[in-house]
Amino acid sequence: MAKHRSDDIAKIHRALHSHLPSEPALRVKALESLLVEKGMVDPRTVDAWVEIYTEKIGPKRGAQVVAKAWADPAFKTALLDDGTAAITALGYEGWATGHLEVVENTAAVHNLVVCTLCSCYPHSILGIPPAWYKLAAYRARAVREPRAVLAEFGVNLADDIEVRVWDSTSELRYMVLPQRPAGTAGWDENQLAAIVTRNAMIGTDRDLRTG
Amino acid sequence: MDGIHDLGGREGFGPIDRHGEDLAFHAPWEARVMGMVRAMSRPGDWSIDWFRHCRELIDPIDYLTRPYYDQWLQTYGAMLVNSGTVTVDELASGKSDGRDAGLARPVSPDSVGDGKAALLRFDRPYDGAPEFAVGDAVRAVRHGVPGHTRLPAYARGRRGTVHAYRGAHVFPDAKAVGEERAEPLYTVAYDAAELWAEAAGRRDRVYVDLWESYLERP
Repeated sequence: MAKHRSDDIAKIHRALHSHLPSEPALRVKALESLLVEKGMVDPRTVDAWVEIYTEKIGPKRGAQVVAKAWADPAFKTALLDDGTAAITALGYEGWATGHLEVVENTAAVHNLVVCTLCSCYPHSILGIPPAWYKLAAYRARAVREPRAVLAEFGVNLADDIEVRVWDSTSELRYMVLPQRPAGTAGWDENQLAAIVTRNAMIGTDRDLRTG
Repeated sequence: MDGIHDLGGREGFGPIDRHGEDLAFHAPWEARVMGMVRAMSRPGDWSIDWFRHCRELIDPIDYLTRPYYDQWLQTYGAMLVNSGTVTVDELASGKSDGRDAGLARPVSPDSVGDGKAALLRFDRPYDGAPEFAVGDAVRAVRHGVPGHTRLPAYARGRRGTVHAYRGAHVFPDAKAVGEERAEPLYTVAYDAAELWAEAAGRRDRVYVDLWESYLERP
């Protein structure tokens, strides 16, 4: 049984800091050996999760969702109405997408997603978050100076474009639906998906390049 | 809790380091941590909220300086010790002292499939009616609470508007101490200028998901 006392945890953190090797790779190796010996982990299951989140589940899924929304107005309506149901229809539901909210960029609106309190992210459609998404600098600044953050990512917004920052404080997870660029009429979904960047679905990219 | 984790609006961090942004993992051990967390059997009273609180309680210097998956490692280590599942000595040596963890057998690799097994929902049945409606003016409470909470400090005492009602969701403050109850959840829109003096004159907004007991009528 967990003892839900904050002071106990702070003390254990200190003990771990003092008694465990400073090199994380050594601590991870010790933990895995221990959990396997205790019968709590099957290392082949670890391998399977690593493989799936390295090779199979990543932002290409999100890009397919965006491309379908651009190509299929009924899907776009469904996606904006109930993101989880819409991605479930594509078989993309999973880790951290039990309550998916998709927010749409327009000529007048730019959306940006952050988690100031930890690092919440819609894993099953965007994969493992980029390192910067989990850094203190992004978490601190995105809510306060989103325009300066966007400029660092090469997105310079006119003053009359409204910025909407979504702080992921609950189990809702946000994904940005970028604008479809001009010059893509007649493209099929795979062609469209190829131009959608991971950062555009977080909101740190805006005008997608078509060539 | 006024912890080091509550970073929204803190200043002085400088530019965002985008090094390695296209890599899921930056070392094999990072991938092992992620995989272990998904694969391990665990005490039945752990929750995402208890995990988040235990991460918030990492020594503040470690919290700001250790890589992300090192923080996961540190947090799960602390949770395992706290639950009596393993000892600090066992974590240091990587060798079991022979005690049985008393947990279910670990999940098999076949169960991973295409990763859908990790889907969880947090909305729950709720007998009451939500206190606020879309469009209502609300103010977040002025003071934080000890322990885990999902009301960021920057929103406290600030006036916003209910943008959406999301149904009743598991209340994190209670779940983090082992009690599950549902409470209405809203997305509240704040004018940036209500939060930050330097945003005066901008139309920008910050949307924050807040539970009903974080909110009052202004």
